[in-house]
Amino acid sequence: MNYTLSDLTKEKNSKRAFWKAAKKLLPILAPEKKNFFLALAAILINSGLTLLAPILVARTIDDYILTKQFGGVLVFSAIIVLMYLGAFLANYFQTRMMGGVGQRTLFRLRSVIFDKLQELPVAFFNQNKAGDLISRINNDTDKLNQFFSQSLVQLMGSLFVMAGAAVVLVVLNPRLGLAALAPAVFLLIFTRAISPWVKKRNTANLQAVGGMSAEVQESLDNFKVVAAFNRRDYFREHFHEANVTNFSAALHAGIANNVFTPVYTFFSNVAQLIVLSYGIYLIVEGDFTVGLLISFIAYVNNFYNPLRQIAGIYSTLQTALAGWDRISQILELQSNLLVVAPEENEKSLSHPSLLQFQDVSFRYGDGKDVLHHISFSLEKEKTYALVGPTGGGKTTTASLMARLYDASEGKVLLNGRDIRSFEAAERTQKIGFILQDPFVFSGTVRENILYGNPKYADSSSEQMKEVLEQAGLQKLLVRFENGLDTPVVTVGSGMSLGQKQLIAFIRAVLRAPELLILDEATANIDTVTESFLSEILEKLPKETTRVIIAHRLNTIKNADEIFFVDAGTVTRAGSFEHALDMLLTGYRGS
Amino acid sequence: MKTNNNNISAPAKQLPGLFSLLKQYKFLIALLIMLGLAGNALNLAIPQIISHSIDTYTHGAFSPERVVIEFALVAFGMLVFTYGQAIVQTYASERAARDLRDTLSAKISRQSYEFVEKIGSAKLLTNLTSDADSVKMFVSMAIASIVSSLFLIVGSSALLLLLNWKLALAVLVIIPLIGGIFFFVLRKMRSLFLHSREVIDWLNKVINESILGAALVRVLHSEHNEFEKFTKANSDARDNGLGIVRLFSILIPVITLVASLATVVVLVFGGHLVIGGNMTIGDFAAFNSYIMILIFPIMMLGFMSNLIARAQVSYTRIQEVLAAPEQEEQGKLLGPLGGNIAVKNLSLKIGEHPILKNISFEVKPKTKTAIIGPTAAGKTQLLHLLIGLISPTEGEILFDGKPLSEYNTESFHESVGLVFQDSVIFNLTLRENIAFNQKVSDEDLAKAVRAAELQDFIDGLPKGLETSVSERGMSLSGGQKQRIMLARALALRPNILLLDDFTARVDTKTEKKIFQNIETMYPDMTVLSVTQKVSSVLHYDNIILLMEGEKLAEGSHEKLMEMSPEYVQIYRTGQSAND
Repeated sequence: MNYTLSDLTKEKNSKRAFWKAAKKLLPILAPEKKNFFLALAAILINSGLTLLAPILVARTIDDYILTKQFGGVLVFSAIIVLMYLGAFLANYFQTRMMGGVGQRTLFRLRSVIFDKLQELPVAFFNQNKAGDLISRINNDTDKLNQFFSQSLVQLMGSLFVMAGAAVVLVVLNPRLGLAALAPAVFLLIFTRAISPWVKKRNTANLQAVGGMSAEVQESLDNFKVVAAFNRRDYFREHFHEANVTNFSAALHAGIANNVFTPVYTFFSNVAQLIVLSYGIYLIVEGDFTVGLLISFIAYVNNFYNPLRQIAGIYSTLQTALAGWDRISQILELQSNLLVVAPEENEKSLSHPSLLQFQDVSFRYGDGKDVLHHISFSLEKEKTYALVGPTGGGKTTTASLMARLYDASEGKVLLNGRDIRSFEAAERTQKIGFILQDPFVFSGTVRENILYGNPKYADSSSEQMKEVLEQAGLQKLLVRFENGLDTPVVTVGSGMSLGQKQLIAFIRAVLRAPELLILDEATANIDTVTESFLSEILEKLPKETTRVIIAHRLNTIKNADEIFFVDAGTVTRAGSFEHALDMLLTGYRGS
Repeated sequence: MKTNNNNISAPAKQLPGLFSLLKQYKFLIALLIMLGLAGNALNLAIPQIISHSIDTYTHGAFSPERVVIEFALVAFGMLVFTYGQAIVQTYASERAARDLRDTLSAKISRQSYEFVEKIGSAKLLTNLTSDADSVKMFVSMAIASIVSSLFLIVGSSALLLLLNWKLALAVLVIIPLIGGIFFFVLRKMRSLFLHSREVIDWLNKVINESILGAALVRVLHSEHNEFEKFTKANSDARDNGLGIVRLFSILIPVITLVASLATVVVLVFGGHLVIGGNMTIGDFAAFNSYIMILIFPIMMLGFMSNLIARAQVSYTRIQEVLAAPEQEEQGKLLGPLGGNIAVKNLSLKIGEHPILKNISFEVKPKTKTAIIGPTAAGKTQLLHLLIGLISPTEGEILFDGKPLSEYNTESFHESVGLVFQDSVIFNLTLRENIAFNQKVSDEDLAKAVRAAELQDFIDGLPKGLETSVSERGMSLSGGQKQRIMLARALALRPNILLLDDFTARVDTKTEKKIFQNIETMYPDMTVLSVTQKVSSVLHYDNIILLMEGEKLAEGSHEKLMEMSPEYVQIYRTGQSAND
């Protein structure tokens, strides 16, 4: 399956894509239904009162100011003040409710994305640049953040005031009202015409931002090579290139996003002009009053100002949707490695092998086959070794054993059952895999060796000590300055590769798996420590099956069986001497 | 008015740095301000036209043509000026961000590896992306907004005072009132904003680690664990966001209320004035319009003060990096190096933690030296010191009798090749990865490829050397990556080759071939190899045993077998059947 995200970006019908993207947001909004409607009610009250006030102002002018009755002015003013106080309360309620809706939605949105990220297979992470993924998730969710935490409240309020103002305009005077609203039709056409362009610009911009941070990440992480090979210009030039691309994309996006406000302002002014000249004409005709004209201008502002705000929000919305689109690409990916139903006939074997490869072929993505029709089996309680030249397929074979990938063809059986029919929890509990590139999480050594292992999560330091002592792991901890409490950082030079491998080793042994795979797990560990590791491996419960991938032959001397992996084939090498012979002489180049 | 002004300039005055950035863009900023003022001046003209029309109508002298022409001109002018302002604003701010990022990256590229490690790539990434963005926001929004807002406030206040100074004074009370409320609430909000940045960093860290450690998470089936970590950070982000919402939901309604009450003031007192014949009905209408125009800029200034504060924090962080001392003056000595290396009383501390303790040894030209020692003995750091990636706490390193610092860096790095322990593969073609230093000739490249036993592998690729390698070298095996790293170092035709645990991921047979190749193809090269594997260095001229940062013994294999019990132990445990 192809998990490369940039391949998935296709030119889509933007208008449909907008609604499609918006629609996909609905389930995330669903739990907020009640709060949402309460907030809407408050918005309704608030905008109702806000809209009613100018009518009263108009009445006051026409009935009392123009007729010089100051008492009536005072009475109406008091009523207006009360209305404003009511609007104040509703406004408070509305902002608070809507803001809460936004924050909680954002929370759920982030959770959904992260959850998805956890469901995706290793292939996904190998096929995409880490820098781009990180940018996609951090920056694009931030765009959504801006929309949900700032614009949503405004958008809802603006929509209601706008709609209310439109109704009042038409009710007060249908002819003048419709004339005042006419410019909005042009705005609607304008917006629809221009939106696809704006969205395209924003998508391109987000892509450029992702590309730039990927560039920085790569260059900074590899800075020592840049420095040692005196290629400081490499960093500068590659970054400059990404920077310039980003600059022009951002410029285009900015020009596109900024087109709305001036045009909206222009049409709102046109509307005021229409009201002014047509309104005065109507007053001359005797169909209208001066007080109503002043209120009318206020209502026109009440209609067009929110509309202008919506235009401003619209570009945030466009950016947010462009971000959401890029995130949806991830959400749409199949979490493959699904658990399949076990097949009946496979269960019947009385003494199945622990692990069996049946005519397995494998390719990464759409590339060429890395493994060709491999068949072999591993029995319980034995130690196996995979040897062979670099690039021959050892790591790939081991990855298939742990179901980091699914076979492209053929089948892998665990205890006689299709490995795909095991729940992830059960499978990972049976299979321990020490990866070639050890990874540590920031925290302490203790947190790292207990990572993903609930069994000892609540153990005290003394209990931990005992557990480690029993497994013979205690002496490995002397390689860490402060033992279990040594702090660990993910990046940087704080910890040597060998130390990271030790952590990975201790972590895997503590989980007591049935099958333990060591993929060059001791490559950067010194020989003395390594001999401790061999002792620990010896001490593992008898039932444990070990699969060791190593270049150093002493680590595989004790293997019961050796497989020779080369050019995508796996050959049973039998004895240690035989394997040695194969290694030293006739293997095909990889 | 005065209090409000102070609110804005206070944070800026303490930190003049941010505004000094603008000097480079004088012309653009001036243009920006002019366009902003022009647009807003026209904005102020509209209520005048309305008021004038109503009054001329009530006096029976209304001329529709004039109103239409005036109004249309103003509206069209506003369209041109505001869009012009938006374009200039976008251009100026994007250019400022671009220039800032270029300056920053140029600065980083001149810095030492030590510096990048110390600051951390994550922080530098933030500097280059989100910090630069905050500064960009400042240029794009703050400048024009502040100038326009002040102009609108001053302008409409002046016009109000001209229309009717008594009523104007009564209404203008709202400026300090709104300004004060804004200042007070935003100050409370600032700590929440700062915290929200921290939370975002936290969230990003969890996400980044879960991406980088994706394979491990799947092997251990700890997806749930990761999710819990994430939920903790995510909940904090939500709660912080809700805190901001709480303050906001007070701020906005209060300001709306104050503004609304101002219109009531106009209604009551203005009405009184109109009734008394002291004010025209047109002026009364204009009063209402100007109040509407007044409120927005006051709120704007409040928001901007916040934006400036944030941009200032970001700009200071960028300035910290820019102000960091450059690498020391480069030496003038040029290569090629003879190959003599002398290490004298070398010590290295990282923080309080001693990594290397008083190490001395010498490497003679064209010899082979091995450094052997357990995990965390300080071997890799020693190599980093030798190539000048980091500098020692004490002691010195001499090449051909001259300190490392006296050499020209460029020339030095062309003479010394280092093969790093971890594979660093760039997202470039194989050719660019191997000929990473651009001075490498095609011949040297071909020779290095052969020596690193990569020829067969490259011949097997459809695009050969032009095959591009994905980031982190995912499509290559561990051994292939390691060999590419070796070829990269050999392509420099170095006089000195430093190997950091090179053999760890290369199979024994290939390793043997490679070392034979090196001996025959690069016979004059001085080799210093850090390794775990005693068997591959038995025939070396000199072996140095390093443990916990100390040199325990030095000599040939035979000599060490006699005098160093630690070495014997390492040799015995590491002895493999085939050697």
